[in-house]
Amino acid sequence: MARVFVSSVINGRSDRVWARVRDFNGLPNWHPAIAESRIEGGEPADKIGCVRDFRLRNGDRIREKLLGLSDYDMFCTYSILESPMGVENYVATLRLTPVTDGERTFVEWTAEFDCSPEREAELVASIGGGVFQGGFDALKRAFGG
Amino acid sequence: MPRVVKSTIIDAPTDQVWAVLRDFNGHDRWHPEVAVSHIERSQSADRIGCVRRFKLADGSELREQLLALSDLEQSFSYCLLDTPIPLFNYVAHVRLLPVTDGDRTFWHWESRFTTRPGDEKRLAEMVGEQIYQAGFEAIRKHLSEAQ
Repeated sequence: MARVFVSSVINGRSDRVWARVRDFNGLPNWHPAIAESRIEGGEPADKIGCVRDFRLRNGDRIREKLLGLSDYDMFCTYSILESPMGVENYVATLRLTPVTDGERTFVEWTAEFDCSPEREAELVASIGGGVFQGGFDALKRAFGG
Repeated sequence: MPRVVKSTIIDAPTDQVWAVLRDFNGHDRWHPEVAVSHIERSQSADRIGCVRRFKLADGSELREQLLALSDLEQSFSYCLLDTPIPLFNYVAHVRLLPVTDGDRTFWHWESRFTTRPGDEKRLAEMVGEQIYQAGFEAIRKHLSEAQ
């Protein structure tokens, strides 16, 4: 099983960062790689089990299911139902923790999945360095560093 | 039950911070409040259950027991056994997580305790500021001096 772990520090209070990322249908509002998103069946985006169907700027389409969401612990867990990435059993979590020393936020984005061994290094690099770190870089810009 | 949570970012890789923090008998080398530390019964400082005895800068003494230590998770937990201040049922957890963006360290230090009614706020502030926040600053200084 392949694992991805990427973490960063955002220069803003965790409740403000959380307000930006908690919307399971809101990736296009903050992640530069996502062009558009909708929730299937007209369900609310914070209903556990809802499915988001989104399109990346490169044209790829991905369907993901919301497995867990906590406003108290500030995390969001989801799985991939359908994607062109060639991954199986993909589960990811985005988690925020306040940094009390200065009003900052520690952000972690982790994923576990199965794939063919020869593609593992490439997938870990593109998911971690591309998608996750790309999202963090956008958040850092949005919160001024 | 009062809960104290403090966290910071240290500008060093977790392995470097952990090398200092994992020594349950090493706080006298970096924490300003701790003058002398030793482990009772000559036990090893990474043996779960060992008890450290601190002499604080003001001369008072306290005893703390190591409850858990993990080199994999870079975390440890301990409780207070004897203390000159009215902190009861005090259990604290320390954990380090890597900040991959910049190869830094997220350091989380938290505890719960009980005390006499009316003392909660004062003691929570004392623990958070004089022990945890002062510890963060001390490690920062310790690591920069070591370089």
